[in-house]
Amino acid sequence: MSYIITPDIVRYACTCGLLKPISNLYFCRYCTQLRCSFCVCHEVDTNFCGKCSENIPSSEARVKKNRCGNCYICPCCEQELSTRIASTKTLSDTEDTKTTPKKMYYLSCQFCRWSSRDVGIPDQSTVTGGWPERENVHANQLQELVDMYKAIVLAQKQQQEKDKKKQRGKYLSYTDRTGVTAAALRKRIGLPAELTHPLLRSKPKEPEPAVAKTEVEKLPIELFTEPINLMDITTVDQRLLQPEAQPTTVDKLFPVHKQLSIKRTLRCKSCEHNVSKPEYNPSSVKFKIQLFAYYHIPEVRIVTVEPLRAGQSCELILKFTNPSQHQTTITILELNLEQQEVEEAEVAPSFDNMENLSLQEKQQMSLPSMLSQPSSLMSMSTRSPTITVKPRKISENVNCDVDVPSSTFILPPRDDAAEYDDSGDTHNIQDDTKLVKWRKSNKAYVKLNVTPKEDLGLNSDVVCGFTMQHVYTNTITGQMDKKEPQKYDHKVKVFLHLGKLVGSE
Amino acid sequence: MGLILLDSLPLHRIPCYGLKINMSRNSIKILPGALVCEESKLRGDITIGSGTIVHPRASIIAEAGPIIIGEYCLIEEQVRIVHRLPFDQRNKENSTPVLLIGSHNVFEVDCNVESPKIGSNNVFEAKCFVGNRVTVSDGCIIGAGCRLTEEQTLKDKMIIYGSRCQMREGLDKPQPQTLQIETLTKMLPNYHHIKKSNKKN
Ligand SMILES: [Zn+2]
Ligand SMILES: [Zn+2]
Ligand SMILES: [Zn+2]
Ligand SMILES: [Zn+2]
Repeated sequence: MSYIITPDIVRYACTCGLLKPISNLYFCRYCTQLRCSFCVCHEVDTNFCGKCSENIPSSEARVKKNRCGNCYICPCCEQELSTRIASTKTLSDTEDTKTTPKKMYYLSCQFCRWSSRDVGIPDQSTVTGGWPERENVHANQLQELVDMYKAIVLAQKQQQEKDKKKQRGKYLSYTDRTGVTAAALRKRIGLPAELTHPLLRSKPKEPEPAVAKTEVEKLPIELFTEPINLMDITTVDQRLLQPEAQPTTVDKLFPVHKQLSIKRTLRCKSCEHNVSKPEYNPSSVKFKIQLFAYYHIPEVRIVTVEPLRAGQSCELILKFTNPSQHQTTITILELNLEQQEVEEAEVAPSFDNMENLSLQEKQQMSLPSMLSQPSSLMSMSTRSPTITVKPRKISENVNCDVDVPSSTFILPPRDDAAEYDDSGDTHNIQDDTKLVKWRKSNKAYVKLNVTPKEDLGLNSDVVCGFTMQHVYTNTITGQMDKKEPQKYDHKVKVFLHLGKLVGSE
Repeated sequence: MGLILLDSLPLHRIPCYGLKINMSRNSIKILPGALVCEESKLRGDITIGSGTIVHPRASIIAEAGPIIIGEYCLIEEQVRIVHRLPFDQRNKENSTPVLLIGSHNVFEVDCNVESPKIGSNNVFEAKCFVGNRVTVSDGCIIGAGCRLTEEQTLKDKMIIYGSRCQMREGLDKPQPQTLQIETLTKMLPNYHHIKKSNKKN
């Protein structure tokens, strides 16, 4: 699983033109296009607390300012606080020994050993606490401001609605037809010309503005004379964790409610289908929909690469893995960045015209064929595209040529049981032995010859790229009366960081 | 009394720390009540107080002088306690310095302590590193993974935590791990060979 954390050696070009490792890409089955986090819609699915794993409805989350009511984080180091049972020794010392010793609870940080006792918060008798909430000193002023702005928003909305009504009745209005405006009429009969909106007139009272003072309190002399004890002073991080209080000394650090986390739904911007949808349950890490590219697009990994020398051909072994349940054929094509841009430019306008196309044309296009038409058009769903993302230019400095092999190779479907099957491969695939060096189950090791450009300097990073065309089998049925799984030729541009250039022998 | 146990391990098992040390004679004194596993690595002149537990694979290396460990210390697996002087203090002809380690100290898994003086009730959390210029007083906690290398003296009840080795002053000393020590005293002899104590109180 190292490809998740290692630097991005092998990157795929997303439809939008950004380069990402395959683990960061999504694959919309409806558009048969790659999508990345920059070209999908992010929607908040659920709010939950990561500590107590409780789902919180979005309305409640808003009221609670996106924080959990029961969980706290350490004001000192921002880790989660845990509730601990206080030792009951102190209670047994009291003379009233007949009462059963009561369990008391306090909050403690396992990481920096901060505890609620450090700042003198009394221990609580219940597990959930009922920890004292501190009043924000500016609460009243903030509330006033919020109320005022809410009223302004409301007034504006009503004004807009009224304007709309005016526009609708523009040509029905008697005064407009005669050319006498309402304002003019009002003037004539001696009323003020401007009729302010009644809601605007009754403007909510503005809170008292802050007044600038010329006289300020002098700095306490101790500030200059007494040595400061850094142990008593809070760090900037600690102050900013509580923006409403901004404590300057450690004795004013109080537990902070834990911020909620969210689960996201990712939606393809072109067809509005989900590419990722998590399960509702906060403790579940599974997905309802997970159209990750890793499950659909063959994965490319570098196995070995010969020392790279400028202008010299060297051998590169790549491993191709088919993650899907269907056999695929891979063709390595030349990476032609300029031509691709023209192609995409042609596609884009027709994409926009989709709504205007007649049904007949649509059906024609959806014929299950391997025509030269871009696959994105064939797989268009009946839903019209909402947002078309204009692909940007791929910015990658390719400085190494790839000898495009003349033959193609087949990748058998993924078989989870194959790992335990020692009987050997039974696929009987006729391979071009110059291209495919070795294969096992759904993997093939392919040899390519690459030549770094002549003018490359020593130690410069060598980057090569190619277009990988693979047969993608779409299993979505029921769409446009398709019964059989559809096969498409899908092209992805793959970029490989081969390493540094070394000197000549 | 005063029986000195000579470690009979072959010399090639002594770790090479790239320094010339006279380690031909190991003098390990284990007081009654201490629990020292056979697989632990003890080199040099070491005294282990009663109630102290040394786990297997822990190494205590008295390079620059004797190490005296107090009572009820917990020394876990992969811990390295090395008595090693800073370069500028070596080769001085005055008396050999003694590394005194107080009582109720906890050395958690894979911590590396080279401190010249350690008080009592300290906790060295997992994978921390304390260099040989850091003097540790009482009740300090060196957090997991923290690296202290600069010359300093940790005051009482100092807590070091986080990747940037932030410091704060604790309210109380950390609780002694009496329960854990009790359990280990019962459990460890069932599964490990224990070095015999060789000193009377
Ligand atoms: Zn994208
Ligand atoms: Zn919570
Ligand atoms: Zn903390
Ligand atoms: Zn889509």
